[in-house]
Amino acid sequence: MIRFVLRRLLAAAVLFLIVLTLAFAAVALAPGDPLAPSDPRIPPEQAERLRALYGLDQPVPVQYVRWLGAVGLRWDWGQSYRTGQPVADVLFEALPPTLLLAGAALLAQYLLGIGLGLLAAFRPNSWLDLGVRVASLVVYALPTFWVGLMAVLVLAVGLGVAPAGGMTSAAAFELGPAAAALDVLAHLWLPALVLGLSMAGDIARYTRTSVIEFQATEAGRAARARGLSESRILLVHGLAHAAPRLLQLASVSAPLLLSGAVVAEVVFAWPGLGSATLLAIQSRDIPVVLAATAYGAVLVIAASLAADLLLARLDPRIRAE
Amino acid sequence: MRRRRWRRSLPIQSHTLERYKTDAVYDDSVLALRLGAGLAAALVAGCAPDAPRDTTRLTVGMRFEYPTPNELIVPPTLGHKAITSQFLLPLMDEEPDYREGPPSWNPALAETWEFSEDRLALTVRLRAGARWSDGQPVTADDVRFSWQAQTDPDVAWTFATAKEAIADVEAVDERTVRFRFSRASPTQLADAAPEAVLPRHAWGERPFGEWRSDPGWFFENPVASGPFLIENRTPGRELVLGRNPEYFEADLPRLDRVVLRTAADGAALATQLLAGELDVVTGIGAADAERIEGRPDLRVHAYSSRQYTFVSWNTGRPQFEDAATRRALALAVDRQAIVDTVWRGYARAGSSPIPSDVWARDPELEPWRHDREAARAALAEAGWSDGDGDGVLERGGKPFSFELATFAGAAARWDAMQMIQADLRAVGIDAQPRRFDPNALLPRLLGNDFDAAVAGFAIDTSLDLRPTFHSESIGGGHNWAAYANPEVDALIESVAGRLDPQASLEDLHRLQRILHDDQPMLVLWEPLSLAAFDAELESVTPNALSPLANLEEWAWR
Repeated sequence: MIRFVLRRLLAAAVLFLIVLTLAFAAVALAPGDPLAPSDPRIPPEQAERLRALYGLDQPVPVQYVRWLGAVGLRWDWGQSYRTGQPVADVLFEALPPTLLLAGAALLAQYLLGIGLGLLAAFRPNSWLDLGVRVASLVVYALPTFWVGLMAVLVLAVGLGVAPAGGMTSAAAFELGPAAAALDVLAHLWLPALVLGLSMAGDIARYTRTSVIEFQATEAGRAARARGLSESRILLVHGLAHAAPRLLQLASVSAPLLLSGAVVAEVVFAWPGLGSATLLAIQSRDIPVVLAATAYGAVLVIAASLAADLLLARLDPRIRAE
Repeated sequence: MRRRRWRRSLPIQSHTLERYKTDAVYDDSVLALRLGAGLAAALVAGCAPDAPRDTTRLTVGMRFEYPTPNELIVPPTLGHKAITSQFLLPLMDEEPDYREGPPSWNPALAETWEFSEDRLALTVRLRAGARWSDGQPVTADDVRFSWQAQTDPDVAWTFATAKEAIADVEAVDERTVRFRFSRASPTQLADAAPEAVLPRHAWGERPFGEWRSDPGWFFENPVASGPFLIENRTPGRELVLGRNPEYFEADLPRLDRVVLRTAADGAALATQLLAGELDVVTGIGAADAERIEGRPDLRVHAYSSRQYTFVSWNTGRPQFEDAATRRALALAVDRQAIVDTVWRGYARAGSSPIPSDVWARDPELEPWRHDREAARAALAEAGWSDGDGDGVLERGGKPFSFELATFAGAAARWDAMQMIQADLRAVGIDAQPRRFDPNALLPRLLGNDFDAAVAGFAIDTSLDLRPTFHSESIGGGHNWAAYANPEVDALIESVAGRLDPQASLEDLHRLQRILHDDQPMLVLWEPLSLAAFDAELESVTPNALSPLANLEEWAWR
């Protein structure tokens, strides 16, 4: 198992290096100049001064080695062109909200998906089953930003059952810890639900198929022969049968969830990586865009790694590979 | 008691929502949610959901994150200046009277000022009783320190060259400061006055060389001279301004607290305003303004931005080398249609790089009217004809075909370019709109390496057309069109050389008429800036100088 873990960790590190290099190359080799003055009143000398300040007057290979060294040794992603803040600080502040949103969405997605999948599996080919299958296809097909916009318009603006945006109320710094947590929860539930909804359909279909499949296996028939109740067969043994597949799905859904989080953050004005990245893109803030790309890659690689390791723990055949 | 305004029931405008509302099944299912969320809201707020409005507080939404109180170390933006000027005052404030004449100046930290006879010295007397929020007096040393910071190469302030004509800033006594100029110019006050006076006693302890490495440091030393001070900041989310008790106008500001909230998307901000979570939103789009206009409890304020959007025709390309062809292009493009559809009326058709609500605009300048027949005739006269019958004109064997470039990101501009393409197609010209990353396109424009490009500029108080139309700004400057006209050069020089801007009015009119006839750029439209706010607010008067102008006077009715 240790060799397996080490192998996976090494592969993840190599993958991260490749992502970093590609992202840097894409920015460095793209035509143009991020510091060219867009305002006619800004003298060209100013751009020269800033170029020297940010090290852009050096040849690209030197820039790359310096950048990689700073990132590798000190996790120093340079300074934002727009705000001058250390990029690591900008993203460090933006990461927790994104993790919270993605985590809550993951939870919503599994709770909803598994619940609906089991409901459908109880009565295969019934109206309920058909309803779940159709609904899961529909939510899978709907783009997150559209669902998000509609949710905000109907639930927040129209009915006032949720805040229309942000992670906290205005001036929430004055709230006590319990009230602050509740305030965040009140802001979290709708974006998490919207984000979780798209993948919940997929999980519902997987759960349903796996659980129905299980009933036809020898283990399923044996469970029934032992006189176990229908609900126990489905909820305990059926779900255990579906678990590895569902976990695998988590590693697939991590990148989708992350890209979905970017969209949801913009729609719900959620102050995470997605919002920070959009602000950076709008203002041509290359160091932040570069680092946000890398952070995204780290999150996806880490999620895949975690799913791989969990899967290996659940299924010995994978460790043996 | 804190207010939870998102719990307030709001009238539903959209027809779609009306339909949902009458759907009983939907209503029932929503009721449970509503109860749950209402409970949570009440828990958080600790009070009844429909609490009365807290009239001491205001929540503003902006598509902008405030990175540092130090304006010298970040790229200059209107948004940054608007916020900084709430707590760091300049010597003088520019009046938003650009419609009536050259700028006049209001005293801020300065009480009086006077030029020497040769206009090479400006003596400023500081306001008696002006104090920093920590109780220290604002002194002449602070003014000198600010000038040193503005011109220090390590600080690398974007507009450092604006201070070139200031040879020295001398602290005569605690309340008197003298600016010494190397030359007299019409912009001397604008060169000396409008930047924030910085607190030497608080910021002077940090060497200039370290200013750019840690912009967050300035939040830790937030000394204020203006009506507000920084009370709290949550990076990426909000900046909270509180009342500065040391402010020299004792009964201002009228609000105790202003919360500035950040979001990356304008539509998301407009939605929060509609839901009652924000009281003011600046910088919204035309579609959102239209959504908000229908609401009786909200107001949309459309005001001059002193900006204009244009097509720059590269006069170095054979298609655009002659003014006759460029004039024909102006006749072919229906700018009013763009204003009406893309901008939904929140813009004006343009005709000059000096926008229509600036005092020096030539009032007799008529925009080229849209006239397809006249455009066809003018093109034929300029030597263009469709010899091979493919629907595209040719001249000298070359088809009238070109790339119409713009920066990616401006959706309205891109929509307008589709309309321009159709207008040009109708007179036999093949324009191919293309979007580029700004980092890639800007160097091409500066190097005059493009066919035609759509972009926007803002013009400031100085009305300096040198960067955009003087021949010395070709190749590296913003004269993208590579337009060279000795008469224009001479007029720009003479405007810059006169001490009284009002005396340049005739030259400025003449300049605009030449540019109108020569058409190196086709001015398409002047966008209006849009702010929306709660109708219960009074004294909200955003202008081209600041979306938060006069914030200290804003109050709830």
